[in-house]
Amino acid sequence: MKLSAARRRLMILATFAVAALALAGCGTSSPAPAKSAGDDLSGDLNLVAYASVWQEQFQKAVIDPFVKLHPGVTVHYLAKRSSAEMLSALQAEGATPTTDVAIMDQSVANAANAARIFQPFTTKDVPNLAHVQKQFLTPGNYGPVDMADAVALLYDKSVFSKAPTSWNTYWDKKYSGRVAMVDPPSALGIDLTAIVSTMQGEDYHTSIDKAIARLKDLAPSVQSWLPNPDEYQTIITGQTVLSIGQNGRGQYYADQSGGKLGLVIPKEGTAYQLNTVNLRKDAPHEKVAKAFIDYSLSPAAQRAFAAALFYAPSIDNADLPAEVQKRVVRTDGSVKVVDLDPTFVASIRDQWTDRWKREVIGG
Amino acid sequence: MSATTSIAVPRLPGADDLPPGHGVHEHRSRRRDRRTFWALAAPGLLGLAVTYLLPLLYMVRMAFNRGKPDGFIEQTFTLDTLIKPLTDSYYWKVTLDTFLMGLVVAAICVVISYPLALFLTRSTSRYKSLLIALAIAPLLTSAVVRTYGWMVILGGAGLVNSTLMHLGLVTVPLRLTNNMTGVVIGLVEIFMPYAILVMMSGFGRLDPRLEEAAASLGARPRAVFARITLPLTLPALLSAFLLIFVLSISSFITTNLLGGGAVHVLATEIYDQATGLLNWPFAAALSVILLVLFGVVIAIYQTVTRRLRLDA
Repeated sequence: MKLSAARRRLMILATFAVAALALAGCGTSSPAPAKSAGDDLSGDLNLVAYASVWQEQFQKAVIDPFVKLHPGVTVHYLAKRSSAEMLSALQAEGATPTTDVAIMDQSVANAANAARIFQPFTTKDVPNLAHVQKQFLTPGNYGPVDMADAVALLYDKSVFSKAPTSWNTYWDKKYSGRVAMVDPPSALGIDLTAIVSTMQGEDYHTSIDKAIARLKDLAPSVQSWLPNPDEYQTIITGQTVLSIGQNGRGQYYADQSGGKLGLVIPKEGTAYQLNTVNLRKDAPHEKVAKAFIDYSLSPAAQRAFAAALFYAPSIDNADLPAEVQKRVVRTDGSVKVVDLDPTFVASIRDQWTDRWKREVIGG
Repeated sequence: MSATTSIAVPRLPGADDLPPGHGVHEHRSRRRDRRTFWALAAPGLLGLAVTYLLPLLYMVRMAFNRGKPDGFIEQTFTLDTLIKPLTDSYYWKVTLDTFLMGLVVAAICVVISYPLALFLTRSTSRYKSLLIALAIAPLLTSAVVRTYGWMVILGGAGLVNSTLMHLGLVTVPLRLTNNMTGVVIGLVEIFMPYAILVMMSGFGRLDPRLEEAAASLGARPRAVFARITLPLTLPALLSAFLLIFVLSISSFITTNLLGGGAVHVLATEIYDQATGLLNWPFAAALSVILLVLFGVVIAIYQTVTRRLRLDA
């Protein structure tokens, strides 16, 4: 009994002590998160970017840490399925924009830059811009590349005992009726056209006739030109065994597929899929927007997003862990890359789309 | 008195029996009725103008602009955008495919739904309400969900192909999706409840005593059907056909998902142009063509039904 009373007293004392400490803690400075340059940053940020898994991972890897750093900021995410849809939304805003920042495909952003939908910025506003690799800067100081990805060949590991090494696997009759293709205007279809054109020994800047003829040969083997729900799931669920896809998302889904989905960058090369981070002209929350762009170009954000969705950083000081580094596309020139200038892509997208419809799919 | 009776108001038979001054009252009453009609209709008409007419005019105006390759719009007034699809054999083929798809889906839907609607209309079963609810129950599920269901059922490893292969009827899975076959199957299933509802509401004209009279005079069931049932139900059948045709040629989700990118009809082309290539003027031009197609079919429908009424 004595012992029990003593324990009770001790507990009461401890409770008071904890309460006193807690009250004292309220009056002193608590360990605050490391704050960025904009300590007094607050307000809204309207961001337009990709939907689905991209949104989920970007939210966790970049937006949430940014908001943690600036608790006064609220990020409103407007998700779009494609860069074209984003551009459409930005155009619809007219002279009174509500969007602050847009993350979109480089070729679409290029057209928006030309139309003055976005505005330039420098290292004065966005210090981390100084670390963006030269090849990923945009002329005129417009939004630089925020992340890099590349086109990959997706395959069913349960069907291929050895990973395919060439895009020519697509034409192997063994897989006829079990391959998926993504046609233009999707960037994947545009990229594949340029890759096949190069494989056929022609310069796609002047002609894609040989590429179209080769793709036309493939057409009867294609199960779907619009894989649903997407090119990754159709392989995971066994509907198809081969498809074109993006390296980043492919790596992400490969981890979730239980060893079913594999992907490779074939020996003939790939094409980059680059996303730029852009500041809207007359952005209503410009200060927050610049801080956000700066954060998205920081080593912490670039590392986190690379680990989450396997996009290669565009800055030179991200220092990825080895296990992540080997799964993102290399940007050091060690991979054969078909060069697709964004201005060129914007100028031919409709023509190439038209030729696919008439000659490849409709042929 | 004479002044009141001289007012030129259409007179109903037997109007002479009405009390003096009735013409003036009738005129005032009509004016009041007209005012009431406009007052009641105004909110709806205004809503329709804002949500339908204005966007429609905007769309038509857009068709006279020019789309640029980079996704921007050149504000101008040109016929080029509208003329392009009319002078291009590819878009003629797309239009023809759209038209044929609408005809086939509407025809299959009507043929399958007709006996069901007839049965449900005539049923005296205590479960009639339940049967009607079952017939239209698919409408409770989203068309997207049903389309995905069909993708699973018709896929290479789906229920249909698995069964056919299990029975040894085929050795290689049939291609039932990512083509027009899949689209037609999906659309027929999705639009059938609409056909059933439209036909059931129109079958009220069918008086069973006429069929009984014909039968009692010695007409065989086939003759009763051909000479009594079908003619009397034809207007409802045509209404259902028109509705399904219009819904089919403007359907996008099912066509896109079950077509797998291989089925190119006006709705998918409009979507591609508007959201993929951001060529809004060309998308608007194709929409105008679709609208004209609707107009032609509705005109044909009205001519046919008018003739049917005259014959009747």
